Amino acid sequence: MSKLVLRRLDRNNEEMLINFGPQHPSTHGVLNFLVETDGEVMRRAIPDIGYLHRSLEKIGEMVQYPGYMPYTDRIDYLAAMFANEGYAIAVERLLKIEVPKRAQYLRAISCELNRITSHLVSIGTMATDIGAVTPLVYALRERELLNDLLEALCGARLTYNYHRIGGVAFDMPEGWRDKVLAYLDRLDSSIQEWDRLISTNEIYRKRLGGVAVISRAQAIDYGLSGPNLRGSGVDWDLRRDVPYGAYPDFSFEVPVGCGWAGVVGDCYDRYYVRVLEMAQSSRIIRQALEKMPDGELTAKVSRKPKPEAGEVQSRIESARGELAYYLVSDGTERPYRLRARTGSFMAMGIIEDISPGLMVADLVALIASLDVVAPETDR
Amino acid sequence: MSITTSQYVGNVRDTVKSFWHGMSVTLSQVLRRPITIQYPDRLEIPVQDVLPPRYRGFLEVDTDICTGCQACERACPISCIQIEVEKDPANPKQRVVTQFDIDEAKCMFCGLCVEPCPTGSIQHTREFEATQRSVRNLVFRWADPIKPFPVYKVVKGAPYIPRAPLGSRVKDLLAQRSWDAVGTSYLPPEPLKPPPPPPVKPPPAAKPAAPAAAKPAAAPAPAPAPAVQPDEPKP
Repeated sequence: MSKLVLRRLDRNNEEMLINFGPQHPSTHGVLNFLVETDGEVMRRAIPDIGYLHRSLEKIGEMVQYPGYMPYTDRIDYLAAMFANEGYAIAVERLLKIEVPKRAQYLRAISCELNRITSHLVSIGTMATDIGAVTPLVYALRERELLNDLLEALCGARLTYNYHRIGGVAFDMPEGWRDKVLAYLDRLDSSIQEWDRLISTNEIYRKRLGGVAVISRAQAIDYGLSGPNLRGSGVDWDLRRDVPYGAYPDFSFEVPVGCGWAGVVGDCYDRYYVRVLEMAQSSRIIRQALEKMPDGELTAKVSRKPKPEAGEVQSRIESARGELAYYLVSDGTERPYRLRARTGSFMAMGIIEDISPGLMVADLVALIASLDVVAPETDR
Repeated sequence: MSITTSQYVGNVRDTVKSFWHGMSVTLSQVLRRPITIQYPDRLEIPVQDVLPPRYRGFLEVDTDICTGCQACERACPISCIQIEVEKDPANPKQRVVTQFDIDEAKCMFCGLCVEPCPTGSIQHTREFEATQRSVRNLVFRWADPIKPFPVYKVVKGAPYIPRAPLGSRVKDLLAQRSWDAVGTSYLPPEPLKPPPPPPVKPPPAAKPAAPAAAKPAAAPAPAPAPAVQPDEPKP
């Protein structure tokens, strides 16, 4: 920080240090960027994180294994199902439990529904950050309808707390399946409408094409994952390549960025990969609802599980990239150490090296296209 | 950066075309039915009634069927439930619940306390509106330390456990207190110590003495006995 202030006093007094955030509307939460500018061009932008740090990893060492589940909701408020599932899988591996088939299917369905809600917010806010305010309203409308479905399933709209160690909390309510199928039909047509509204819009494509290009090698080096990695042309999806849960039973495609509006790995690629992923999620949910097996909802787990001493890791494909949990048990009711690896944190790391030479307005596009969510960064 | 005239005209044509594509979508929204509702007024039915049954609102305890097992207290990850169970001084075989406090301001509505309940006494309701000027008034006290309720004993072989209609007790509790009721003066949750159960004579003498002692000792250093007083529901 001190180095930065010193550099500001350059000889010609041309450079300027600007605080971007923490209360800026387009920073997706409380994020701060220290932007060193020369006129309209950035020298670099340094992310300054930690405003939403709630020491969730430390809390994990204080509460018992089942009691940490509601806390995982708070890791990423837009995609809480994934944090639930990743933690549940980690503890199940520690306890060596097999999850019933029906629970795995319900997990897949709930997670894919959550992926759609998360991507709807992502693409909607991205359009708003660029200057098209209308699409956000339509995206949020679709998301509200989906939130109603998730609320009927698990009782909450954001902090779901639906997954449990060894299964899921509830079965599908009556008539829910038909509602989901009706919603998916609506979603497929609204994605087409979305394409006509904004994705194929010439101004939008020109604005995002070729901006803030992250090359394939760079994306791998910085540990990007999820849609950000696939936007850079790397064909990698944990659901297909390291399958977990019920995913081996479904057939789906993994959309990979191929320079739809210019260069591979630009903002538009990262944006459009998300739009295509929503359609694939819809495809997975249809298959899961069709093949849904009967059976138990949870495996037999004691109320106070005491796993043997050891360490495990779980990785799942979240809406914002790989979500990994690392758990160390010392044989007591509480974890000895809990660590969560999130996609947004890695995405924040690359901003400093991509930003030199970009315009200040492009920084907004870059943050939005990386889909950074502040609580997931800070935890 | 120079472009030819045909490229320029093509760019203009593409922009206008995509502009009209977007406008056609936007204009088509005019004909659709809006999905927004005008909360809280201008509603045909209250929002509480359209919420799904699994909605996680305020916790409700049916004190008639609470077994005093404290499973919910142990399951709560943030310990917002405080339960004290004691033996009835009159009948040593009967246990009574002298304190059952749920801090709804602290509660994160996760639903983990509902799952271990053996009788379904503690449940989430669909009530969510309880604005209070004082945050301490959001502590729902289901047991009265003066008149503790006896624990329920599950009858073996009974076809079902009678439960009060879900939400009725929370509604009663919310109706008791106006939104600007004066709360207690201290903020941190004070662990309540009910008056010690004396064996024979003292209770009738101690109970009238307690309110009298409460008034002078209101501001400084709340003693255990006065701390009970400000939270009593006032008519």
